[in-house]
Amino acid sequence: MESTTQPPEPQNQWMARFLEFWQTFKKNRNGLIGLGMLAFILLLAIFAPVIAPYDSSSTTSAGLSDIYNPPSAQHWFGTDDAGQDVFSNFIFGARISLTVGFFAAFISIIIGGVFGLVAGFFGGRWENFIMRFTDIFLVIPDLPLMVVIVALTKPSLLNIIFVIGLLGWTTTARVVRSQTLAVKSRKFVLRARAIGAGKGHIVIHHILPLVMPILVVQAVLVVSLAILNESALSFIGLGDPTALSWGQMLNYAFGRGAMSTGAWWALVVPGFGIVWVVLGLTLLGQGLEKVLNPRLETHHLMPGRLSVQKEAGTSASNKEFLLEVQNLSINYVTEGQAPARAVENVSFALKEGELIGLVGESGCGKTTLMLSLLRLLPAAGQIVNGRVFFNGKDLVTLSDEDLNDIRWSGISIVFQGAMNALNPVRTVGDQIAEAITKHLPAFPKEHLQTRVVELLDLVGIAADHKDNYPHQYSGGMRQRAMIAMALACNPQVIIADEPTTALDVMIQAQILDLLDSLRKKLGLAIVFVTHDLGVVAEICDKVLVMYGGVTAEYADVDVIYNDPKHPYTQELLKAFPDLTKPKKKLSSIPGYPPRLDALPAGCRFAPRCPAAIARCHTEQPALHKITDAHNASCHLIEASQ
Amino acid sequence: MSKDDFLVVRGLKKFFDVGRPSLFSRRSRYLHAVDGVNFTLRHSEVIALVGESGCGKSTLALLLMGLEDPTEGTITYEGRNITHLNDHERKDVRRKIQMVFQDPYESLNPTQTIEDIITEPLIVHGFANNANREERVKKALEDAGLKPADVYLKRYPHELSGGQRQRVVIAAALVLEPEIILADEPVSMLDVSIRAEIINLLAELRITRQIAVIFITHDLGSVGFFADRVAVMYLGRIVEIGTMLEVLENPQHPYTKALISVIPVPNPRLRHERIILQGETPNPIDIPTGCRFHPRCPVALTACNVSDPPFVAQSKTHQTACLLLVK
Repeated sequence: MESTTQPPEPQNQWMARFLEFWQTFKKNRNGLIGLGMLAFILLLAIFAPVIAPYDSSSTTSAGLSDIYNPPSAQHWFGTDDAGQDVFSNFIFGARISLTVGFFAAFISIIIGGVFGLVAGFFGGRWENFIMRFTDIFLVIPDLPLMVVIVALTKPSLLNIIFVIGLLGWTTTARVVRSQTLAVKSRKFVLRARAIGAGKGHIVIHHILPLVMPILVVQAVLVVSLAILNESALSFIGLGDPTALSWGQMLNYAFGRGAMSTGAWWALVVPGFGIVWVVLGLTLLGQGLEKVLNPRLETHHLMPGRLSVQKEAGTSASNKEFLLEVQNLSINYVTEGQAPARAVENVSFALKEGELIGLVGESGCGKTTLMLSLLRLLPAAGQIVNGRVFFNGKDLVTLSDEDLNDIRWSGISIVFQGAMNALNPVRTVGDQIAEAITKHLPAFPKEHLQTRVVELLDLVGIAADHKDNYPHQYSGGMRQRAMIAMALACNPQVIIADEPTTALDVMIQAQILDLLDSLRKKLGLAIVFVTHDLGVVAEICDKVLVMYGGVTAEYADVDVIYNDPKHPYTQELLKAFPDLTKPKKKLSSIPGYPPRLDALPAGCRFAPRCPAAIARCHTEQPALHKITDAHNASCHLIEASQ
Repeated sequence: MSKDDFLVVRGLKKFFDVGRPSLFSRRSRYLHAVDGVNFTLRHSEVIALVGESGCGKSTLALLLMGLEDPTEGTITYEGRNITHLNDHERKDVRRKIQMVFQDPYESLNPTQTIEDIITEPLIVHGFANNANREERVKKALEDAGLKPADVYLKRYPHELSGGQRQRVVIAAALVLEPEIILADEPVSMLDVSIRAEIINLLAELRITRQIAVIFITHDLGSVGFFADRVAVMYLGRIVEIGTMLEVLENPQHPYTKALISVIPVPNPRLRHERIILQGETPNPIDIPTGCRFHPRCPVALTACNVSDPPFVAQSKTHQTACLLLVK
């Protein structure tokens, strides 16, 4: 995004924000329908005098013959008990019902919002007092209380608005409080305190903008509740007799024999109005929530769709290798856009007991490549070319059932972020047992616990921690538990996705040591995904350096560190702090990896490359073979050969 | 007080009450997050505080920032005791001591533009109406390496990369023209290729703006060329402190030795014996007796679980708390 697209004026900034919101909102069909339904009723209410065929006050002239007339050309929806036009009353009733709904909700939202904010932000005694007060309000049944209060006061419209408003704030207070608590604990609030901001400043500038979306959604729902409450009050005869709301229409029709005379229209029409508005508001609320609360957006990993033809590609698997990836390419396909080439033409091979490091910055396609090996890509991910041979079987074309047999028992994954990958409400032992039974249903039940203890022992966790929950584990132990889980079905290959990234150096060393000993003990082959070249140097046999979805360099570990040919590898090494040369200034690679939807025309690294020549910007380099075990994709290599 | 005593920390302690061990016990239990820390920061000096998670380094940062109230000890800044200040008195100090947080994805408010974020400290400290406000904002951004500033002003944090966001956080600290920047793991969430950028930026600022930096990290490797002095923390205390070269090339404490040995060396030909300590930092509720490191120490003597080791000076600048060094 360039600066030119950024509006300079603050009003325009709000406009831009609104447009952005609208762009997302209009994709939500339910929300749009709700908005449409509401807009329709609002227009009816606003233009009531123009639209309504009869004036609302033309009551008295009605003769007996006008009462409960069925729908006709003159009275589309018939007449009511007083001989008035039901359709006109319906339109004017909308004014009353909506007015009560909006004003009462306004009161509720203000009270609930302030209470929630104060309780959430200030905590302590304030919170205790407010929340107990809220609890008391919550256990009192609203409707009977309203009935009592309205019955005791003069039944005017204003009174009804206040009673409904003053009793309807409890849920808002609770919702706002929990959101405030969540926002308060975020780091930017701490940063604001560190800057020296006072409480008022923090509430207005940091808490409120993030509570607002929730408040808007809540407001929509409170409006519909308020309309329902008003209808209920009017229906039981406690409404303002001078204001003919929908509830009041129902009350009159019900109380004055509409049922016995079969005048269904007098009941159905106002009832329909209530249902219409409440439904519209609910749909709108749902729609707004989807847009304003991004947490509701789900993101599933699904088997990647296949578009490789079974016959394509002729190279057979090499018996020597346990896992062999040949020319793998993966696209992300979004409707209406050119496919994003996330991984292109990547090959590597792995023998038993070998450890390969998959290195690159974030956004270099490492994770996509890793997930594609077991076809666990997000729905938009497609394997468009290539082969993944495991024990001679091509995983790219294997049926889903056959692939399921290989997942976990043949190849398993240690995921990044051990805390999020473990279920917090089940013991670690249970979760390991589940991993076994899920993939090996025939596993004898009586041996299950011994196997769990055996696995924990393998990763260095004492058996008495078996029945602990993940939160009782430290970060390092959780990562060990994840490894135990990956080992559950005796796989031959483990894919470890940044397994040490969030850990302290000492724990990182422990985990590296563990992986190293496991591969020696069990003959495991390991694919180690990381951005940290130092970690790779410690334990890997081979290294695949990825950049922008392509292989930059692929060689044995010694070659990568002592004779790197690709400028990206060289620059990465320079950026890495080397304790053997503490005085050396670190250099960084200026710029950032390319976005997949805006790949450069030539070499993907060219825009950041210190050695780039003209050709690099126009032509994508091929992967050159330097020796049998050393490949790099750079035009300069060709030139030097 | 000498001219060099810019920020002086003496016997700083912070205990958190974690309640009673059981329903019927009357004795309260405390988490000893920071348990007697002493050090002195000089003008435009870079000091690295190194330790594993749970060693109290982040609590120490919050204490220095006045975001937590110390249980004991004093913090003196330019001769003035700033240990316990009310909000009003603190504001003045806040301007001089700014903080950079670990996670640049969490420490920026997603609803503010970059301009809002950098202007905010000026508003808070009452400089918002100054004529040169815009100029200051732009200068801070450009000093933090976001050039030209105009390109970034109207953007939102989500439009920036991790490294750029960390620069925004640094710019928001710079705009108040602080004398000390406290950086709490400022690079640990970033890719290796970007870490160097941020560290170089901090190193530059201490030269161009004479800003002193307290650099908190678990990774001794990342402080190499840029720190003047290194302090190694374990379980709430500093166990070794010295100049960067003294600590990195001639570590004395067994813990420092182990920490240095596990720093990855980016060369497979230099793979070496690593001293991998077993287990993790003990729970700071039940501090081990004697030397607090002895349960994990590979060279502990029997005396180590009885007596708490004093600081032994190896040189004028290099001190270590270890019984093995007591002669």
